Amino acid sequence: MPYEDTHTSTAGSIPAAKLGGARKAAEPGQNAMKRLQTELMQLMTSPAPGVSAFPSADGNLLSWRATIEGPDDTPYAGLTFKLSFEFPSNYPYAPPTVLFSTPIYHPNVDFSGRICLDILKDKWTAAYNTQTVLLSLQSLLGEPNNASPLNGEAAELWDKNPALFKTKVMDRHKDLEDD
Amino acid sequence: MLAGPRCRNFTSLYSYLGLSLRHIPPDIPALVAQCATPPVINGRVLPTTVHTYSRRAHPPQAWFPPPSPPHNATMPPPNTPEEGVPTAGAVVPAPANTSATYILGRHHLYPEPPVSPPPRVPTAPPAATTESSRATTPNPSRSSSRPRSASRDSSASCSNRSCLLPINYQDLHYETEVDKSLECPICRTPFHLPLTTKPCGHTFCASCLDRALEIQPLCPIDRTPLDASRDVCHTRIVLDQLDRLRVRCPNRGCDYICARELLPVHYERYCEYTMVHCPDPDCDLRVARADARGDRGCLHTFTTCQYCGKEVMVAGLEEHYDADCGGHTAKCGHCNAIVVRHRMEKHTAKDCPRTMVACKWRPFGCSEWAPREVVEKHEQGLCVYQAIGRLARDRMEDRMIINELKERVSAMDERLRKSEKKEKNRSRDGGGHFGGIPSAAPFMPDLDLNHSPRAAPSYNGGTWESPEDYMLAQFERIESRMEDLRKMIMELDGHHTMRLLNDTMRLNEQIAELGSKVGVLGMHTTWLMNVQRQSRGQQRAGTTGGTPGPGIGVAGGVSGGGGSAGGREEEARRYFSSSNDVGLPLRRNSDGRNPPRL
Repeated sequence: MPYEDTHTSTAGSIPAAKLGGARKAAEPGQNAMKRLQTELMQLMTSPAPGVSAFPSADGNLLSWRATIEGPDDTPYAGLTFKLSFEFPSNYPYAPPTVLFSTPIYHPNVDFSGRICLDILKDKWTAAYNTQTVLLSLQSLLGEPNNASPLNGEAAELWDKNPALFKTKVMDRHKDLEDD
Repeated sequence: MLAGPRCRNFTSLYSYLGLSLRHIPPDIPALVAQCATPPVINGRVLPTTVHTYSRRAHPPQAWFPPPSPPHNATMPPPNTPEEGVPTAGAVVPAPANTSATYILGRHHLYPEPPVSPPPRVPTAPPAATTESSRATTPNPSRSSSRPRSASRDSSASCSNRSCLLPINYQDLHYETEVDKSLECPICRTPFHLPLTTKPCGHTFCASCLDRALEIQPLCPIDRTPLDASRDVCHTRIVLDQLDRLRVRCPNRGCDYICARELLPVHYERYCEYTMVHCPDPDCDLRVARADARGDRGCLHTFTTCQYCGKEVMVAGLEEHYDADCGGHTAKCGHCNAIVVRHRMEKHTAKDCPRTMVACKWRPFGCSEWAPREVVEKHEQGLCVYQAIGRLARDRMEDRMIINELKERVSAMDERLRKSEKKEKNRSRDGGGHFGGIPSAAPFMPDLDLNHSPRAAPSYNGGTWESPEDYMLAQFERIESRMEDLRKMIMELDGHHTMRLLNDTMRLNEQIAELGSKVGVLGMHTTWLMNVQRQSRGQQRAGTTGGTPGPGIGVAGGVSGGGGSAGGREEEARRYFSSSNDVGLPLRRNSDGRNPPRL
């Protein structure tokens, strides 16, 4: 039995929900909301350098937009990348779905923006949060995992031809700026 | 089993901390149950009844202690598409009752809320299953916790109408700043029922940790493998810190703030906003405790909103007005401001700038009668009656003070008169003891310091400024009385001495008189003895003719005066020895030197 409560939910009438209001026990997803609110507050009050995130404009707290600045001393230096976060209702027990909105040329990101990062998949734990994910992605930009690439060409070029890699990165990034 | 006693302690910890049963989350007894039952590990997932309706997109991963081989045979494979079947016992064709119990109990640890509210009926069977399965578990270690789990279950299914909704600790508003280290890394709120992992020492809320472990049996921070039953323990210091945090009551409308450990008591017993069952026994809905008072019947009947014509529940009328009433606001007739309708009266009486009001100095003659905003300005500077008004007001205040003081003075007088009367009575009664000096006992002052000095009996008809003064006065009084007594005693002493002297003087005189009489008697005796000796000497001289003359003997005797006349002694010895001749006993000492004396 979920110990949060079943009475208000099982009563099944709208007035009950209305009456309960804040007094009502947690609904599924409410914990996720609460947690996301806390995270947002934390990001606002103590932002980490180079990363930022905010809920998307439609007012849905389960969908966020984030930006990462490319770290210095990497081919991505000086570039800014936009990402989208979609949080499941059982967040933080399940990882958010993170996609690069900005096209990026990177060994572990495919052309549709999907990311190959273990902590967003099987290595996810409930102790991760948006900020840690963003910082992990930022460091992924400088240290790609070329052992399991989504973009094989990029993985090869990373080691063999950094100059060409850099051009490709700039080209791909420009694509967006042209849009 | 190692975990058993620890888990029992864990339950008793909460009872020790005074948390009520309702605030022991259901997982605690379940944990006890689970600890008591030996886990059977085999490496397979157990889809169970609870999973069937509460599992979402993330099915349990293979980490639970799986059943023993015989069970395996009958178990459906992991992640079977049986999710969504809300019936209990349909999935687990438990061959042995005990192991089925274990499986059920296991999955009742920190359950998740269903994604969509299940219909009312299907919620009952799992609870019943849990209850019955727990009851059938033959385990002595759980017998002590039986009542707990029973009461908890009843509250979960809420057959008992006095049960309340549990406090959602993640929604609490903390008044004090909470140390970051007291926040659960999973829910990011201060811990509720903190559990610390034994191998790596990380702390989480019990519910957060168990949900995380349900998905992956790893520590959420450092991925240390964990077993929910064995690898967690409580840290009292964390609990103590959490208990001291100041929280606001979670009930809407309630502003009560207290230490977190006291919140359950407030919430359960005292908060007027706690949602309790509707007074109508047939109604399953809840109302605030304050609304449930009195015999108002079911508060969940619909009534028509007087403003918007909507059908609204009686209990929700206030909220309806405030929130979604179509006609809930109205224009103030005077100032055109939009005001919530049922607050209109207050608005007109206190806030509305256009309502006609009188100047506050009206009682003192001001005849201003204008809209509030005008009157306010007028009151602030223009009103000519302001000075008079203030004066009058001050006078009234003064008069009140004077009256009060008068009352006090009259009360004082009354008391004084009484005490004086008493004193007189006492001095009259106590006069007889020591010749006019009043006896001390009836006048012992009241030394009770709790009495205010003013209230103490006033001996001199006056009052004292402070307790010290009062004490000093008392002290002086006592001292003077002591002095009186001392004088009196000295006088008495003198009397006694005089009387003694008078008495003994007479005795002394008598003794002296007696002494002189004795002396006279002695002289008489000596004279008589001399006379007798003379006559005897004359007789001897008559017979022998050779003894000295009696004149000499008498002269010697008279001159001796009863003293030590050797010659006379000689005479006396002779006299007595002569009487010895006739056989009389010798009365003298053998030496015969001591003369008979008085």
